[in-house]
Amino acid sequence: MSHSESHSESHSENPKSAYDFWERLYVPALIKGMAITTRHFLRNLWSERDDNTEVLERKTQSLMATVEYPEQRVPYPTGYRGKHRLVPREDGKPRCVACYMCATACPSQCIYIEAGEYAPSDTNTASRVIEKYPTVFMVDVLRCIVCGLCVEACPKDALRMDTSVHTSPELERKAFLYAKERLLAGEPTQHPNDPWRHRKSSDEPLHAHKEAHTRIGEDP
Amino acid sequence: MRRLTITVAFLTIFASLFGGMAAAYALGGYLESVWYTGASALSNLVILMLVFVMVIATLLTLAERKWSALMQNRVGPNRARIHLPGLSSRSLAGIPHIIADVVKMLTKESFTPKAANRFFYALAPILSFAPIFALFAIVPAGPTLPVFGHEVAMVVANPSFGLLYLFALASLAVFGTVLAGWASNNKFSLLGGIRACAQMISYEIALGLSLVGLMMAFASIQLAGDSGMMEQQAQYLWGIQLDGFDVGIPAWGILIQPVGFLLFFAAAFAETRRTPFDMTECESEIIGYFVEYSGMRFGMFMVAEFVEMIVFSAILTTLFLGGYHLPFGGQWFANLAFFKDYPWVYGATMGMVFWLKVLVLIYIQMNIRWTYVRFRYDQIQKLGWKILIPLGILNIFVTGALLLMDTSMRSLGLLGILEILLILILISSSPKSSLHKPIGQNEALPSHH
Repeated sequence: MSHSESHSESHSENPKSAYDFWERLYVPALIKGMAITTRHFLRNLWSERDDNTEVLERKTQSLMATVEYPEQRVPYPTGYRGKHRLVPREDGKPRCVACYMCATACPSQCIYIEAGEYAPSDTNTASRVIEKYPTVFMVDVLRCIVCGLCVEACPKDALRMDTSVHTSPELERKAFLYAKERLLAGEPTQHPNDPWRHRKSSDEPLHAHKEAHTRIGEDP
Repeated sequence: MRRLTITVAFLTIFASLFGGMAAAYALGGYLESVWYTGASALSNLVILMLVFVMVIATLLTLAERKWSALMQNRVGPNRARIHLPGLSSRSLAGIPHIIADVVKMLTKESFTPKAANRFFYALAPILSFAPIFALFAIVPAGPTLPVFGHEVAMVVANPSFGLLYLFALASLAVFGTVLAGWASNNKFSLLGGIRACAQMISYEIALGLSLVGLMMAFASIQLAGDSGMMEQQAQYLWGIQLDGFDVGIPAWGILIQPVGFLLFFAAAFAETRRTPFDMTECESEIIGYFVEYSGMRFGMFMVAEFVEMIVFSAILTTLFLGGYHLPFGGQWFANLAFFKDYPWVYGATMGMVFWLKVLVLIYIQMNIRWTYVRFRYDQIQKLGWKILIPLGILNIFVTGALLLMDTSMRSLGLLGILEILLILILISSSPKSSLHKPIGQNEALPSHH
């Protein structure tokens, strides 16, 4: 009769004792416990610490999984939603056309936009082809739940959360209201269908070839 | 690189222990020659107790956190930095934390609750620290040697009532704990104090009983001295000479009284009130008898805990691990020609051996503290009254009977070795699977039908 058989038999009779004979002897189990602790101690003491921030890819015998935070940072995964940014155009102005789609989509209502109109006399051709721009674009990052719905909603690729930077600590509540100047950051971006772009052979902006994009009140 | 660092750290420990003991002998010999015979007791008081014990206790405050971190796969404290060029990027193994802690303890407000009994509130930290600290006075840390033509004994005091002094002072420590619990006028601290009282008094008995066998075997209660308990452990139960090199089974306390060793270790551990015997603290529940203390008064309790660990390790070493004696080759080592010319080198080496044994025992205590979970209150009392005390009494009877048969301690040693072998067999033969199975795996699931 093997040991384990008698063990399980005694269990069916007396389900209260979850420990077998060896465990109830106590001292061997105690000393084994100390051996485990000592093994961890020696292993962590003797082996070099691998400070790879990818903890699972650490190679040395050391079992420590610590990442020393302010000095070392675990890289954010791709698709991480960081701090908002307003994507600039080539001329440094925001791509935003103040359509309020992001503010409407926002479940926590943290985006505040005031729209302004480009004057017809504006000499900047890029600005002339679009009607509106935000005079105020403010994100209250204390209200923001970082869901990314504003980015999804934006029809102009004007708002992104690809900075991989999380909200920085501030001393005042006011400082968490990110204004347009603070949000406008990062690489300028342009797309082939941006209305202010020109065909190579033409001085006219792209949209001039389409009726629908003609500016209201402007002479055709 | 890390291995090199750690090897250097170990060598530094050895060297500083050696250097400290060498300084103790030199200062003792100097004081003996310029002052009066027996003046070395004063230098021992300063170097052994104020320097060795206190420095080790200070380092242990960090070691406790650092070692526990290593046992739990953490890094441990490393954020305190010394802001000097070249040092600010190094954690220096957390050593700056000691300085930071000391500064914090000393500069924090030492608060006294309004309803507290001010006198006893102030007295309690002293009472819990002083007796434990004074315990070390009877522990010999090295051999008696002639330095500068005078005999220097490496012990502060060698009273003929050695072990009685130990029991008397060890039982005084409970007053500090209970007073702290009562005088701070806080329900939680009172709970802690009452638990401490109950626990320490029940383990006091086991502490006393565990050493009776050893007293009978050595026919002495003096620790140091030629006929003291430590010197008697230098002899061999069975020993032979191989070209002047002596090998054999030494008459160490742990070999002739393994049960006594386990009992004393458990009882002393309970006296230090550390996990698994930390009913008095219960950090997660009642915080303990010192819940109202802050600043250096709390620091006294904390240092007292570490001093208690060192002192009990030192006493365990003296009584059970042969003190500063080597397990074999001790006579050969002592008779080397080099040591005849420079006896202080021999003394410092032996002192280093003593402190290394103490450090190993401290590590074992730390290991126990960070491995086991706390006992329940009734389990502590059950262990004390139903296991340790009957075992202690049984040990006395068995030891007495064997000593009546054979006064040379050989049959005692034979029994002890058999007991140790039995424990080793139990450890190695217990099936591994039973320890790794989740509890309750074999229980049938409750059926709803």
